[in-house]
Amino acid sequence: MRQRGTQWRVLILLLALALMAGACGTGGSVDITTTTAAATTTTAPATETTSGATTTTASGSTGDIVLVAAQGAEPDTLDPHMTSSYASFQVLENVYDTLVQPAADLSMEPALAESWDISDDNLTWTFHLRQGVKFQNGRDLVADDVVYSFNRVINEGLNGWRFAAVDTITAPDDSTVVITLTQPSPNLLVSIGGFKGMAIIPKEIVDDGSIATNPVGTGPFRFVSQSPDQGIVLEKNPDYWRADEGLPKLDGIRFVQIPDAGTKLTALQTGEVQWIDSVPPQNVDSLSAADGITVGRVPGGDYHYFALNENRQPFDDVRVRQALANAINRPEIAEAAQFGAATPNETAIPASNKAWYFDYAPFATADTATAQSLLDAAGVSDLSIEFMVTSDFPETVTQAQVIAAELAAIGVTVTISDVDFNTWLDREANGDFDAFMLSWVGNIDPDDFYYAQHHTDGNFNFQGYSNAEVDSLLDQARIETDQAARKALYDQAAKIIVDEASYTYLYNPDNINAWRDEVVGYMTRGDKAVRFVETSLNQ
Amino acid sequence: MTSDTDRLATKPASQGREILRALLSNKLAVVGLVVLGLLIFVGIFGKAIAPYGVNDIDIPNRLSGPTALHWFGTDNLGRDTFSRVLVAARVSLQVGFIAVGFALVVGVPIGLIAGYYRGGVDSTLMRLMDILFSFPAILLAIAILAVLGPNITNAMIAIGIVYTPIFARITRGSVLVVSEEVYVRAARSLGATNRRILFRHILPNVAAPIIVQTTLSLAFAILSEAALSFLGLGVQPPNPAWGRMLADGREYFQQDPWMGVFPGLAILVTVMAFNFVGDGLRDALDPKQKSVIESRGQSA
Amino acid sequence: MTGFLARRILQMLLALLGVSIVVFALIHLVPGDPVRVALGTRFDQELYDTLRHRVGLDKPLIEQYFSWLSHALTGDLGVSFRNGQPVTTLIVQRLPATVTLALAALFIALVVALPAGIISAIRSGSPLDYAVTAASQVGVSMPDFWAGVMYILLFALTLGWLPSSGYVSFLESPVEWLRHLLLPALTVGLISGSIITRFVRSSVLEALNQDYVRTARAKGLSEWQIVRAHVLPNAWIPIVTVVGLQLGFLLGGVVVTEFVFAWPGLGRLALLAVKDRDYTVLQGAVLYIAFMFLTINLIVDVIYARLDPRVRVS
Repeated sequence: MRQRGTQWRVLILLLALALMAGACGTGGSVDITTTTAAATTTTAPATETTSGATTTTASGSTGDIVLVAAQGAEPDTLDPHMTSSYASFQVLENVYDTLVQPAADLSMEPALAESWDISDDNLTWTFHLRQGVKFQNGRDLVADDVVYSFNRVINEGLNGWRFAAVDTITAPDDSTVVITLTQPSPNLLVSIGGFKGMAIIPKEIVDDGSIATNPVGTGPFRFVSQSPDQGIVLEKNPDYWRADEGLPKLDGIRFVQIPDAGTKLTALQTGEVQWIDSVPPQNVDSLSAADGITVGRVPGGDYHYFALNENRQPFDDVRVRQALANAINRPEIAEAAQFGAATPNETAIPASNKAWYFDYAPFATADTATAQSLLDAAGVSDLSIEFMVTSDFPETVTQAQVIAAELAAIGVTVTISDVDFNTWLDREANGDFDAFMLSWVGNIDPDDFYYAQHHTDGNFNFQGYSNAEVDSLLDQARIETDQAARKALYDQAAKIIVDEASYTYLYNPDNINAWRDEVVGYMTRGDKAVRFVETSLNQ
Repeated sequence: MTSDTDRLATKPASQGREILRALLSNKLAVVGLVVLGLLIFVGIFGKAIAPYGVNDIDIPNRLSGPTALHWFGTDNLGRDTFSRVLVAARVSLQVGFIAVGFALVVGVPIGLIAGYYRGGVDSTLMRLMDILFSFPAILLAIAILAVLGPNITNAMIAIGIVYTPIFARITRGSVLVVSEEVYVRAARSLGATNRRILFRHILPNVAAPIIVQTTLSLAFAILSEAALSFLGLGVQPPNPAWGRMLADGREYFQQDPWMGVFPGLAILVTVMAFNFVGDGLRDALDPKQKSVIESRGQSA
Repeated sequence: MTGFLARRILQMLLALLGVSIVVFALIHLVPGDPVRVALGTRFDQELYDTLRHRVGLDKPLIEQYFSWLSHALTGDLGVSFRNGQPVTTLIVQRLPATVTLALAALFIALVVALPAGIISAIRSGSPLDYAVTAASQVGVSMPDFWAGVMYILLFALTLGWLPSSGYVSFLESPVEWLRHLLLPALTVGLISGSIITRFVRSSVLEALNQDYVRTARAKGLSEWQIVRAHVLPNAWIPIVTVVGLQLGFLLGGVVVTEFVFAWPGLGRLALLAVKDRDYTVLQGAVLYIAFMFLTINLIVDVIYARLDPRVRVS
């Protein structure tokens, strides 16, 4: 009898605990979030939002106009010099500035530098800084900050290689920065401002160690907080150097992370978020036709490709590579993987890049006869290739399957290895692959498109391609200051790179964002940068 | 000497027939058996029956719903879904059987030894199983796959490792109870060796819950493959597997809802079949259920 | 009793130690490391080596493990390789979401499973029994991501009744908290409920077939009286076991649901840590999950032991 009572009591107690803890389980979160708020806003700018940061969001209070933007990946570190994550840059684009930045047509325009002069020998660049720029912690921007930032990038950052030709960086006075080079660098502007990896930062947030979690820049929005339920919260920077134009218009932005593409799309359709960073290609048409939603679509500077390991036989034989390049059907691949939101291309630079586009298409489409004869000439039969792809870039999985079917027509057997991205990177770096497929993102200058991947000493030449003539052309082009001459050099280099199928290029995908109709003043960009500085929300 | 104890411990042949009768009186279990039989048939002959190749890409005709030419429609690359569902049966069944087989072969002996010998051996073995068990299953599978390389064989091993502790625990639990039974104590007092006791007396009598768990785990293994595929691991494209097909179908749901329906149904039907059989077996193998089955004729 | 408790706690600590070793070993066997992740496709051998050295990844593995362990014992789980935030902070920020979902799902599961399991056991063999069994079978047989997706499409997109993703803290808005919680809890809870239903049914059934129940029936007691007086007190031990197991699973294993609903839980944190080879975060997260799981197991075992003295001895 007694036992029965006890058991009942325990069962009821468990159930009651379940109910109570469910409701009060978040009770503990009060203390937790205030302590984390303290942890994440250590260098609290002079705002009132420190302790309330994570519980009372900018959107929740006092009729502020806050844009909720959904991104598909989680940013890693918020230190612009130390991240290669596109998700991080989507946020940092709005917090930091560079000396110069890409305009809408991807030419370089002034940002923190108002103007610049180049010496006659092209080895000295003098940048004149804009006056009255403040960091979000209240301090004025001075030339020493630029020197410090660039030195940090060179010595510790991920993008130091972009400064390879830089000799010295000095600040003769508070508003002038002088960069001297060891050789002429016609693409210096792109190197120092193509994206926020070379952002200008204040020294103090590095010294106190908060830069990775609490970015402070000169951009239109400043960082408020980061938490798993709120996402990354930014608020308007009242001291922004374009405040006289009434910018930024938004009171704040909240970047939420929705990793599942379908759920992210649904969130836009229900209006829970107002902007999403990508749309699955198969949904683009139906979304464009949907009420209340605008789809932004521009040809992009990304390109998809596959590369064969030239340190392995028989891929070192150029005829084998050319055979594959002839056998595949680029329009079919683009249609399958991108549902038409892409432009097939046998070179890297897209047609939309008017300054540098090289119209060259030496390969046939699905020409099995030519492919077969090339294979025969190389004495190769019953070829078997392992394509290394990753579901973290789902288009590569689709592309590989289509290519597998296309290559079957010339007797080539393709096996597909879908590994997670980091295994992919590891195998790529160790040369442990037959072929890998991926894309390169957000390129502007032709040096970005070709040097690192195809020069013998290129940092990212994992496929082992080496051609002395290409090397010399690329080296020359790097220092050629005459635009026309430079283009001619790149065209020549590209021709060889394409003919010899160092990479087999597939297509340039369009950049696609989508947003609710209430969002105005946002533009999808060719370099994929996400800028909300002129955006506003009609309510 | 030993024959006395054997007679005490082993089930007479008539009991086997009774179990079968009990099983077959369970309507759901019968349905399950029929479905499983069909599945195994498809698993063996799938490729031969399939009207199209599993990799016949046909982009212009992709994402169509069911038509006369394509009974289940086509997927995002224009491949025939019906053929792919048929051929995937083999893979999905393989995953189930091999993964669970692995778990059985490793887990049951561990449970036997732990439950029989008790003491320090029991403690150590069960703590090892606890370690595996308290690991979030999906994460363990993902980590193992990342180490071994993501292909279907390794997925089977990974899922097998994840399920091993369950079998160890269940076996151990039953062994603990059965060890106290009269015939085992009798055998021991009569001087039978441990090995003999384990194999002759204990194992047959703990078989029931193990068999039941096997059918249940088979069902879960197939679901695990689906989850791994959803996360982008497991079966390598373009080989079809229901889980991967379901995950892909989900991406194209707004264009063609049919793409994921049939693989999803296939998973549902297979898992349910395994579960029905498992439930039926459990009802049939439990000797106390005899009265339930007898009384079924009289209950309201 | 205290001796039993002390022994089990010691065993739990040993298990936790074992878990930490297994995680460490496993994640280091996986190709790639957080530095390679950070560099991405722009990999540079020199930079790679420098960064590895800076974060101490080039030290011998044993040294790295013991360094981590000694810090962990003082409560310092280190800092995320990926974004520099303290691991403890990352975990604690996600605990409310994880616990809430687990308990809500369990609540739904029990609300469904207890009545369904008991009734189908009492009416065993009847059409009602078959119906409940079949329904619970469907519940168990659906992959969780599929169920989740279907609910989102139905309730969020088509009907617009509930939000499709995200988490809102109870203190910010109880109504929003509930609205965001409902779909993920339903997704996991119905599946969990189906599993528990079957256990409830089978253990009630087993208890119903005991001799003393037949005696009670012969004495003329009604089915319901028998259930209350004889069956439930004896049947609920295995039920508590499976509930405990389910709770433990829900606290760290609902990775896929968290992914689909963008639910900021521990499972998703751990999944991301595996993908990005964020060693410290993974070790911390798995340790927490294992700790919660083992603690629940311990509580279940203690309840067991209170009621069945034989268990204490073994």
